[in-house]
Amino acid sequence: MTERSLQMRGISKSFGPTQVLKTVDFDLYPGEIHALMGENGAGKSTLMKVAAGLIDEFEGDISVNGVPCRFLSPREATRAGIAMIHQELSLVPELAVDENIFLGQEKVHGLFLVDRQRQIAAAREALKPLDFRGQADQPVSKLRVGEQQLVEIAKALVANARILIMDEPTSALSIHESERLFQVIRRLAKEGVAIVYISHRIEEVFALADRVTVLRDGRHIATIAAKELSRRELIRMMVGRELQEVIASGKIQTARDRPLLEVQNLWLEHPAPTPSRPKLAERVSFSVASGEVLGIAGLLGAGRTEILEVLFGLHPGTSGGIIQIAGQIVQIRSPVEAKGHGIALVTEDRKRDGLILGFGIDRNVELPVLRTIAQFGLVSRPDEIGLADQTIRDLHVAASGAEQPAGTLSGGNQQKVVIGKWLLSKPRVLLLDEPTRGIDVGAKAEIYRLIENLAGQGIAIVLVSSELPELTLLSDRILVMREGRPTAILERSDFAHETILEYASPGGLIQPEFEDREVA
Amino acid sequence: MNQFASKIVRFLLQTKLFWGLAALYLTGVFLSPVNHRGVNIFLSPGNQSDVLRQVSNNGIIAVGMTLVILTGGIDLSVGSMMALGSVVCAMLLTQKGWTNASILAIPVLALILFLLAAYLVPLLSVNLKRSARPVEKPSRAARWWGVGLGLAAAVLSIFWTTGQLDQKFGVFGVLCAVPAVGLSVGALNGLIITKGKMQPFIVTLAMMVAVLGTARLLGGSNTAVHPVYTGSNATEHFDILRALVFQIVPVPGIFFLIAVAIFGFILRFSTFGRYVYAIGGNEQSARLAGIHVDQIKTTVYAIAGMLASLAGVLYTAQYRQGKADAGAGAELDAIAAVVIGGTNLSGGRGSMTGTLVGVLIFGFLGNILQLKNIDSNTQLVLKGLIILTAVLLQEGQIAVWWRRIRTRLTRPDASSLDQLRRSEQPETDLKSIKK
Repeated sequence: MTERSLQMRGISKSFGPTQVLKTVDFDLYPGEIHALMGENGAGKSTLMKVAAGLIDEFEGDISVNGVPCRFLSPREATRAGIAMIHQELSLVPELAVDENIFLGQEKVHGLFLVDRQRQIAAAREALKPLDFRGQADQPVSKLRVGEQQLVEIAKALVANARILIMDEPTSALSIHESERLFQVIRRLAKEGVAIVYISHRIEEVFALADRVTVLRDGRHIATIAAKELSRRELIRMMVGRELQEVIASGKIQTARDRPLLEVQNLWLEHPAPTPSRPKLAERVSFSVASGEVLGIAGLLGAGRTEILEVLFGLHPGTSGGIIQIAGQIVQIRSPVEAKGHGIALVTEDRKRDGLILGFGIDRNVELPVLRTIAQFGLVSRPDEIGLADQTIRDLHVAASGAEQPAGTLSGGNQQKVVIGKWLLSKPRVLLLDEPTRGIDVGAKAEIYRLIENLAGQGIAIVLVSSELPELTLLSDRILVMREGRPTAILERSDFAHETILEYASPGGLIQPEFEDREVA
Repeated sequence: MNQFASKIVRFLLQTKLFWGLAALYLTGVFLSPVNHRGVNIFLSPGNQSDVLRQVSNNGIIAVGMTLVILTGGIDLSVGSMMALGSVVCAMLLTQKGWTNASILAIPVLALILFLLAAYLVPLLSVNLKRSARPVEKPSRAARWWGVGLGLAAAVLSIFWTTGQLDQKFGVFGVLCAVPAVGLSVGALNGLIITKGKMQPFIVTLAMMVAVLGTARLLGGSNTAVHPVYTGSNATEHFDILRALVFQIVPVPGIFFLIAVAIFGFILRFSTFGRYVYAIGGNEQSARLAGIHVDQIKTTVYAIAGMLASLAGVLYTAQYRQGKADAGAGAELDAIAAVVIGGTNLSGGRGSMTGTLVGVLIFGFLGNILQLKNIDSNTQLVLKGLIILTAVLLQEGQIAVWWRRIRTRLTRPDASSLDQLRRSEQPETDLKSIKK
């Protein structure tokens, strides 16, 4: 057997009182693609952060190529040939591709002067085997996410990385881009680079990995060759329960009476309009009845999130359209007004928009409804705790108590807190933007059940999601968006994935009622 | 037993600020010179009273600064607002008729009274009892009441203030008019920051320069000092603001402690306080929770401005003069006190108690150095060092450094990294892995 690229023995790590890694062993061989699987909060990212020198306080031993090491900084890990590519890319958006690749190790003439020509040439050289389709002297911000990812990889390779750790690299990529990335990964592995691939997408693991290591609750559960593993077995190891439990029941068609939310000709200005995309969203019309779930499908950038933002009053002055709630035309110019009309928005990025990570659950959930627990402007502490406890109880949040900081909860529990905070405001219309993004299988099922429950209670739900199985499972109808315009409203009988994709893809089908009327 | 010990350690860590103050206090007692009658000068009532007097201006400004910093902002213009307050106060006290100061102060006071009533009355009307729904709009009646009361207050204030013009302003007059001026300038800060979507640092920096200029222009010339001789060119009652209550407690100190109490209470127990913390914790998240972020931020800057100009009034009383360089550097002292008090400059974390302790640490430190007769420039150097040390301790960074040094010394093989770089990358053998 060859020498192990990376050997980790008995790794333990605690954040405060919670132990996130419990004596985990991990082995990585040169040239293998090793998938690291587990639910959110299982400790996947933490384990790899230890390897990449991002966490310097832990117990256990690490050796790289048989040499014992202990890294105090990412820089030391890089010197030892370990590079980690994070979920949120760490490129400097304003700098050009080559400047990013050679950041910290610029090619210079003399002492300080950066030799851009040489650097650009070297960057092209490094990017060539990666099938990169941008320009090497372009600012990174101009690139698509998929291309940016390749720049990150090139950066790692230029730094002589022999161990490449990728943390959920496809979470922002289209299917096509993911496929390209897989090819690059396979090629790198053939050249002897050892690759750790962190993901919660089961399909990807079977398409890519040689071996799979599963972590659960900070423990090492198993390391198995991918070929010998079944999908079902993998889920069982990740979730610790049987598969049937985690599949939601599926939707029963809701009786549609009068619409609760009705939207006509909604539009949102484009900050930099082009002839092909004059508006971020336009001519969007739909209605949602009480108890109905309307799904919105579309590719990234189709204008789905923008519709929700306009409905929540985030674009006053640059958007318009007729919005009716329970038959009454309303003006929504701010989140305060939206809240006043009984609209709630659960945003896509819960860490950036949804939560105050340093604050406890109590200080988070009360924010939309603080007025209901205050008299003379003074907050009642027992009621404050009561709201938090109610959320924890009703939504089954796994937390040590009302005061546990939101940032220390796992992704699924954070999402429950965000939804719970809006449920306290007793909304009539609930707007959900990618409610299960970055959430593990178990928590996903719970969120699905919650959505069904809420619809059952008569809330009108608008659900934006990039995961078609999720949309087809939960929605009563699906509105398909393409480049800022709706192309179809599909009933449950038409919910085939191919149909949805056909309407979503540029140049694809369009239902007659959505065709360009001015042209016709 | 072990658990008990760790509880004690946690308690000590949580209250380290107070222990710092206590240690400083004991140092003061220990280092203090003793007078000919064997009395420890540091501990003498007169000295303690002096310290409270000396810190009270900085303290009052720091109270407002705490609110601003908790929202994640900064206010550099408070020093200039203190100067403006001082000049306006002295001019109102000593000059009859329509001077620059009264032309500014009278309409501003009327306007502020109107806006306050029109804003607060409807707000209070919906806050009197719990609302069943998360958003409740004030009734039309409450709005009209607000406007009506506001108009009445504005008109009355104009009659009252113009009535005072021929015999100059009294104590109560300046205590109303000057903070109103500061409040309006502070609110302007807040409006520009929120509506213009600009950085607080830049906006208040510009305001700092502009307001200082305004203070000098009002005063007539750059270096104009407006002496306030109570009993001759100004009302005798103005001396109340520099008096000692029970011969020991300085009145400015009382203003300071009341400000700490009021705003500490609001921060801790009110919805407004919750919103202030939430905005500093994550402004975007607060906005998306349907909080009036702009309104809260504007209010916070207005409060900071009001308190700064109040400090200007107290300065005028204390030094018996109003001048435009009264608040030079006051913003930095206030920021330092807030930061020593453990409030995080990025917002969302901190407390008014911390600020109180921070202000006292700052004050006692100055006092000790003074008593030891240490040269004022050396004092500055020492103060700077103390600020750095205090913040380092607050952030717990020293523990991190210590841990890293320990790991570096004890890790398996210090030379392993270099070995690694030299070692050849082993050839790959995929087949052996697949087995």
